[in-house]
Amino acid sequence: MQISALVDGELSGAELDRANAHLAACERCRAEAAELRQLKRDLRALAIPLFDLLSEEAGGLAEVGADEALTRRLLAMAGPGGPVPSRRLRREQHRRDRSRSERSGSGPARGRGAGGARGGGGSGRQRAAEAPYSVRPRQFRGAPRRHGRYVLWSAVSLVVVGIGAAAFGMGGGGGGQPAPRITPQLEMFSIEHAINSGDVPFPDPTKAPAQASQGATKP
Amino acid sequence: MPTMRRPGLLVSAAVTITVPGVLAALAVLGHERVAPVTFPADSLPAAPVATVPAADTAQVRDAAPGIVKAEQDTISTAVASAREAAGLRLLGRSAAAGLATSYQGVELIAQLGVDGAVTMISDVWHRSGGLTITRTTDPTELDVSQPSGFYDVDNRSPEGVFGVTKTLVTLLGRHYVAVYRGNGSAVGRPALVVDLHRGDGSLAARFWLDSQTMVPLRRDVYDTSAQLISEDAFVQVQFGSLAAQPGAAANGGSPDKQAWAKADVPAKLIAGLNGSGWRLPAGLPGGLPLYAAAQTQTGMGQVVYLGYSDGLSVVSLFVQRGTLPAKMAGWAPVNLNGHLVYVAGHSITWAGRGSVYTIIADAPLQTVKQVVASMPPAASPGFLGRMGRGLHRLAALVNPFG
Repeated sequence: MQISALVDGELSGAELDRANAHLAACERCRAEAAELRQLKRDLRALAIPLFDLLSEEAGGLAEVGADEALTRRLLAMAGPGGPVPSRRLRREQHRRDRSRSERSGSGPARGRGAGGARGGGGSGRQRAAEAPYSVRPRQFRGAPRRHGRYVLWSAVSLVVVGIGAAAFGMGGGGGGQPAPRITPQLEMFSIEHAINSGDVPFPDPTKAPAQASQGATKP
Repeated sequence: MPTMRRPGLLVSAAVTITVPGVLAALAVLGHERVAPVTFPADSLPAAPVATVPAADTAQVRDAAPGIVKAEQDTISTAVASAREAAGLRLLGRSAAAGLATSYQGVELIAQLGVDGAVTMISDVWHRSGGLTITRTTDPTELDVSQPSGFYDVDNRSPEGVFGVTKTLVTLLGRHYVAVYRGNGSAVGRPALVVDLHRGDGSLAARFWLDSQTMVPLRRDVYDTSAQLISEDAFVQVQFGSLAAQPGAAANGGSPDKQAWAKADVPAKLIAGLNGSGWRLPAGLPGGLPLYAAAQTQTGMGQVVYLGYSDGLSVVSLFVQRGTLPAKMAGWAPVNLNGHLVYVAGHSITWAGRGSVYTIIADAPLQTVKQVVASMPPAASPGFLGRMGRGLHRLAALVNPFG
């Protein structure tokens, strides 16, 4: 606790003197303090490009002075894994990693910075510097899968909407199959009704008199 | 002594009240065109008049009042039963006479339809046992000399006059009480009058049957509120020797003559058709059972005819697969209890669920409304219905085996 306070510059006066005196005598604490300071420097070094990228994505965020300071502080306070990077940043980092691994000829890093660094036998500090996102390897591993899922869902949605629209369009108009247009043959119906009801058939009122009376002109 | 005399006085009082009562009832029975009751000897029960209490006064005086009342009830019941049996028997004879008798004349038909009263004048020519030719005119629209239709129903003539057919009389016996009322007259001829009563006792119809030939001369039909809704009558009639047969029959008759395949068992026909996607009712509201069915093929596809009747009201339903055209020339759109239908004279048509329904009804307006309401509506199928129909069509389109 004291060491972190010392590294963070929170000690002063007699406390600072006492802490320094202890560090001078204790190699373990001295090493720990040195490691902490290094870590802090690394984070700060990382924070600047990160901030630039983030502010570029957020648009206009960099123009706000007070917020900028706050953001920097927040980034500086981030854990060793760093802040959750944006997709664009991940892509950039992924590209950087790949070009670096191609240059070094150590095979494709495939975004697995931790594995690559570990395979190279680097220290933890190196890991942090070269692959700051190694603590979230799934982010990189899951991205293509999620992308595929998105494509799949989009395709399914498109098909469902398409079929629905087609069904709605085809369901219009008359009932049943493409329905024939029927005009009731009233004269024929009237005769059948008359035969079965024992009454005289009614004339078809929908027919013009001239047409209807045609039959009556027969001799 | 006064106590001994009291029963005698009571009997006298009962007789004094009962005898005028019976006489008054008989007087009421013979009103309007009905003459005092005299029964044709060949068709009616032994003179009902003779059954009117004519017991010896002394016997009545000695009998207890309860016994007199019981006898009167028995006599009244017997008279009523005899009159009912006679009424139905007369109608049955009339149905047969309508086929067997040659006649020609002019009929006036006035009926209350969906869009108001419809009145027609029809020349009728019928040869015994066969051909019937009618020539109908709507006097409100046309000159009588220009008939609006000419019908030759050769070999499938109407099986009676004014709805008195053998089949319908059988149905009448199941749904109504036919009571012989007595003698009357119609179109200047002596007639037997038969009343038709509903189960609740209200008058449903009255028939005038020619005393000589038994052919119906007139029929009045009333709805449940005692309103006259149909009046069919000969205004001129001649029996026996006929004038020359009207010409069109020799030429093969009506331009719309159509060969209908009549179903021997109507219920079986609609069961089969309903199994293949039709929607045909086995009965209609208003107590109208299915009694006839037939089908035919036309240029517009298959037509199914279904006849529903209780013997008096007749509703003919014609069903075709398809829909109505956008414009219905000659038809008036009418909202019938929320159903959009098209009305032309006596006919009502609408499209619903892939079929066109057309009804021609000789029935009270209330019954017609009930019938229309019971059938598939002309309403829009709605979103889900439309989607379902569209999917069905889509599947039919892509189905390689379809």
